[in-house]
Amino acid sequence: MNKTADIVIIGGGVSGCSIGYYLLKNGAKNVVILERDYLSAGATGRCGAGIRQQWGLELNCRMSKFSCEFFENAVSELEFDGDVEFHQGGYLLLISAEAELEQMKKNIALQNSLGIASRLITLDEAKEIVPYLNTDNLLAAAFHQKDGHLNPFHTTQAFAEAFKRLGGVIETRTAVTGVTVSNGRITGVETDKGTIQTGTVVNAAGGYAQGIAKMAGVELPLYSERHNILVTEPVEPLLAPMVMSFSLNLYCQQSPHGSFVMGRTDDSQPRDLRVSAYSGFPELMSRSVTGLMPPLKNLRMLRQWAGLYNMSPDKAAIYCEAPNVSGFYTAAGFSGHGFMMAPATGQSMTELILGLTPTLPWPKMGLDRFETGELLLEPSVV
Amino acid sequence: MLEQTGIPEASDINGVFPSDERLAKGPVAVIECFQRIPCNPCSTACRRGAIEAFDDINDLPKVNHEKCNGCSLCVSRCPGLAIMVVDMTYAEDKALLKLPYEFAPLPEEGSSVTALNRAGEAVGEALVVKVQNTPALDKTPLVSIAVAKDLARTVRNFRVTDDTSAESPGILRGDEAPSPMVCRCNDLDLDNIRDLMKKGFTSIDEIKRVSRLGMGPCQGRNCIPLVLGELSRFLGKPVSELDPGTYRPVVKSVSLGAVAEYDGEALTE
Ligand SMILES: Cc1cc2nc3c(=O)[nH]c(=O)nc-3n(C[C@H](O)[C@H](O)[C@H](O)COP(=O)(O)OP(=O)(O)OC[C@H]3O[C@@H](n4cnc5c(N)ncnc54)[C@H](O)[C@@H]3O)c2cc1C
Ligand code: SF4
Ligand code: SF4
Repeated sequence: MNKTADIVIIGGGVSGCSIGYYLLKNGAKNVVILERDYLSAGATGRCGAGIRQQWGLELNCRMSKFSCEFFENAVSELEFDGDVEFHQGGYLLLISAEAELEQMKKNIALQNSLGIASRLITLDEAKEIVPYLNTDNLLAAAFHQKDGHLNPFHTTQAFAEAFKRLGGVIETRTAVTGVTVSNGRITGVETDKGTIQTGTVVNAAGGYAQGIAKMAGVELPLYSERHNILVTEPVEPLLAPMVMSFSLNLYCQQSPHGSFVMGRTDDSQPRDLRVSAYSGFPELMSRSVTGLMPPLKNLRMLRQWAGLYNMSPDKAAIYCEAPNVSGFYTAAGFSGHGFMMAPATGQSMTELILGLTPTLPWPKMGLDRFETGELLLEPSVV
Repeated sequence: MLEQTGIPEASDINGVFPSDERLAKGPVAVIECFQRIPCNPCSTACRRGAIEAFDDINDLPKVNHEKCNGCSLCVSRCPGLAIMVVDMTYAEDKALLKLPYEFAPLPEEGSSVTALNRAGEAVGEALVVKVQNTPALDKTPLVSIAVAKDLARTVRNFRVTDDTSAESPGILRGDEAPSPMVCRCNDLDLDNIRDLMKKGFTSIDEIKRVSRLGMGPCQGRNCIPLVLGELSRFLGKPVSELDPGTYRPVVKSVSLGAVAEYDGEALTE
């Protein structure tokens, strides 16, 4: 293992790999990614894989639009010799209450002003997209064709391979056990395989980011919450868009491979870093999803698992350098939508670390917002 | 213990062997199927109704040794190679074991081979009496070997002697044959797996994420043990030191409708 590095990134999820790629692409040298398990072992490899640009905050729209456009060209941009399986079958956001409808109209106006071609559609139009949709409790829907889903493993792999091609080093099965600080500056990272001297650490440890920060004496206002998800047997193509309902708190998509992947938010879930499968989940999930799309009753579920949502107080990501430790950067708190933001995360953190002119709205996404009260309250999250 | 080593002990074997009276009457099937798994071809193979019908696909086979005449129809049908036919009346001092044998090369009739016990250790000599490999056997050849009677409960396999004995037997595979299938759910063959290992994916969880191995309807029950064997050879580590990957619920696939309609006791953590 390297004894020194200019920049050490902690975490080999999609965020860490994207940050590594953008850093090298923008001239950084001697960058190392440390991953405790293997690439995509964290939330990235457990996520619902949804990619959308339909957000209620301008900055989320801009970050996701940047990312989505990147994903459209990811294979050539990253010179990947596989496929990232970006399926742009759209996101169908179901609306079931008047207040939700009002919010959605505002969101769509905002999105359209930023060049995102989302639109409000009637239930009949929604049924053209998903013929077996049960519209009983619905009022309307929002749809954007360019949204969809993407293979998290292959995407992370593509970033990782491009990073390595540019000279980056990835150490898997290497757990960070300490971060050393001297006179308020980062001096190194301790791992179970040895120590690396460095002046710059990027904390991209997903659900474990607050723990990594503590190692450096940095407090982050983050907690991690277990989220459950299941997959069915593969079947013929039956569902083009990602279907999402904020009132039912669920999402459901059919992967290009044919399996349906679905998840549901549940406030009762533990916040103690547990990722064991929750046995009550299949029941709750299948009730809500078969109510909404009755033919799914016949689909067989194969497996359920869980992963961590790393939550920030306002459900928007935190991109920052620690106020009390210079050289300690964090990209975390993605609150359940960090996969789709990965390219924006890489670009933003690179601009922040290398001192480049901001091209994305990350300067508003620092820690100071929790002091000033300029929170980024996103209305549209599951 | 069987659960830990995968090797049945004398008590396990005696538990499934026919009585001495039945053995004295001629050939009979011995089924060493010890783990409840979703598998049932044996129960439908027998034309004499000697293997009781299964209520549940996970049932263990029960042989009515009185009805069984040792015809061997079931032997090649068992994908687990768990069945053999034993004939204690073959000769004064010799028993005949009819074994399913999926290794290459097949032995020559009349040749002498090394008899192996259930741990794969050499325990004596055996004479190859007959080799059957008809299309009906569907690539599970049956080899009948004669062994000393007192070894009838010990011998369960053999090694073709003389050859490159240090090398472990390979999967039955001609040179031009297509690479053997490893994961039927997701269409991965041995070459695919070996390529991934060479690229640096050297654990079950990594191979799974990059290739979908084990993510199909069998949920890894078929492919993961095979890939663990390959990984073990590739890394030079025993399987017992490798991470078998994460097994997760559900054990058996179940329709979302059935789960949604479940009205029993609420499930808790
Ligand atoms: C069920 C579920 C569904 C989701 N659905 C979506 C979705 O549809 N769309 C979307 O955009 N997002 C979704 N998300 C959120 C998304 O998965 C995450 O925001 C994103 O993957 C975060 O990536 P990351 O790289 O920051 O973190 P992670 O992928 O968690 O990576 C962090 C890595 O750090 C490593 N690590 C931790 N501690 C250490 C240490 N001490 N030393 C070394 N390494 C360490 C971990 O092993 C891990 O690999 C979902 C999340 C879950 C759980
Ligand atoms: S050997 Fe023949 S009779 Fe005996 S159980 Fe098998 S199929 Fe039935
Ligand atoms: S076919 Fe073989 S493995 Fe399957 S249940 Fe019968 S004896 Fe057991």
